[in-house]
Amino acid sequence: MDTITTLEEEKKGFQLSDRWIQIITTVAIIGIWELLSRSGLIQPVHLPSPTRVASTFFYIMREGYPQDITIFIHIKATVRRIIQGYLLAVVTAIPLGLIIGSHFILERAANPVVTFARSIATISLLPLAIAWFGIGELSSVLLIMYGAFWAILTNTIQGVKQVDVTLLNVAWMFGAKQRHIFFRVVLPATLPRIFAGMKIGLGVSFMVIIAAEMVGTVEGLGALIQQSRLYYRTDITIVGMIFIGIFGLIISIGLDRLERVLLPWAVGLEEVKR
Amino acid sequence: MNHSRFKRALWASWLGFISLIVVWQIIAALGIRDPLVFPGPLAVIEAAIKNVPLTRLLEHIGISLLRVIMGFSLGAAVGITVGIVSGWYQKLGNVLRTPIEILRPIPPLAWIPLAIIWLGLGESSKVLIIFLGSFFPIFTNTYKGMVAIDPNIIRAAQTLGIQRNRLLFKVIFPATLPDIATGFRVGWSYSFGLVVAAELIAASRGLGYMIMHARELNMISVIMYGVIVIGTINLLTDYLIQEVILKRKLKWHYIETAF
Repeated sequence: MDTITTLEEEKKGFQLSDRWIQIITTVAIIGIWELLSRSGLIQPVHLPSPTRVASTFFYIMREGYPQDITIFIHIKATVRRIIQGYLLAVVTAIPLGLIIGSHFILERAANPVVTFARSIATISLLPLAIAWFGIGELSSVLLIMYGAFWAILTNTIQGVKQVDVTLLNVAWMFGAKQRHIFFRVVLPATLPRIFAGMKIGLGVSFMVIIAAEMVGTVEGLGALIQQSRLYYRTDITIVGMIFIGIFGLIISIGLDRLERVLLPWAVGLEEVKR
Repeated sequence: MNHSRFKRALWASWLGFISLIVVWQIIAALGIRDPLVFPGPLAVIEAAIKNVPLTRLLEHIGISLLRVIMGFSLGAAVGITVGIVSGWYQKLGNVLRTPIEILRPIPPLAWIPLAIIWLGLGESSKVLIIFLGSFFPIFTNTYKGMVAIDPNIIRAAQTLGIQRNRLLFKVIFPATLPDIATGFRVGWSYSFGLVVAAELIAASRGLGYMIMHARELNMISVIMYGVIVIGTINLLTDYLIQEVILKRKLKWHYIETAF
């Protein structure tokens, strides 16, 4: 990598720091965007100007959209659904994953079922959930649970399977009891992987809830962007997307920080994909 | 793994799958719920044959797959190009990456309303959503691959007198291929969920529309059938990508890192 850098450095005389380049780029994009909407090249219905978006930002904090449903109420609804569904998934998937992972035959038997259940895009279960549980809370919560459940389950199973056999042998050699081996060796060794699954699961929950809320709810961030779309309030749609983005960012950064605090021994664990 | 253990494992796999279906059928047959609300596997197959002719199903599958393929190839082409350019030209990369990193935390699904405002309810809004869904993971992985190349490889190439463009195309690009492949896999499974979501919200054809329409008609067995079809296609395509691209084309990488 440093070679690539040096090649570049030879060419240019003065250096701008990365941070400054990012700031300048951001300002430039917003400036061009503002200019384009002012000059009428872009219709405000398609892309309202940044100043318009900024004023809408404060508007939906105070007045809300639809009337009196402020952004905080939307956020609260979304967060509540995520927490409920996600916690349900965590408390069921982790114990089940630990049990399945520690039995070879059970793991084999569960494998095809788990693989298939994971392949089913959670969102495709939305019509089924609506047909069974109606539009609203229960459907969204159960969908979130479904999406997060399989991500956490597969990672827990993998985690248990990948526990270093040497660790188990050492514990056994020193005469540790089954219970001790499980709580003192298997569980700590599995935790980083469980946490990786929980991270993926939370990401999935977040996507699922946005989609579920777009179909037939009034409160929630997904509902906000969909409702405003129906009335061509593009400014509100964009503000809603900004909040969703901030929300997503908080989730991913927050979890990374949390992992470093809770599981310092997990550093260097190969990144778990998907 | 010795032979009998392997055999047992294979048996267990089948047993798990079959017992799931049997349990499903038994619960449905017990009749706790109205069979119209909770149909068993046999009822699902029966309803599927009666209500969804194979040609219609293939048409829905074709439409959905076409949307995914169009959006995905666009996303892959742009993602790889921008990823390589950003990795190769550091300063320009910084400029390009700024808006990408700002937009990245927004899940592609949240673009659906805006895509509809911009492009209407037709094909292009769905293609845009899938484009976004595949662009971000493919770009991120390509860029990561570019920056994470073992400097020794580059030094070795330079020592052998390989320069600029040839260094990029003969050494650096091939070295990022495994990362690009990872991006492909993530992007593909993303895209597939996205097309269903986009079709649920606004479409008149495609697999997502098929199950949403079945819900309006309250044909739960058709919804279940659709869900199974969607899952199967996702599974098959993911398998194809993994087998064909990862194992065959990038064999050198996987032999090296196999343990």
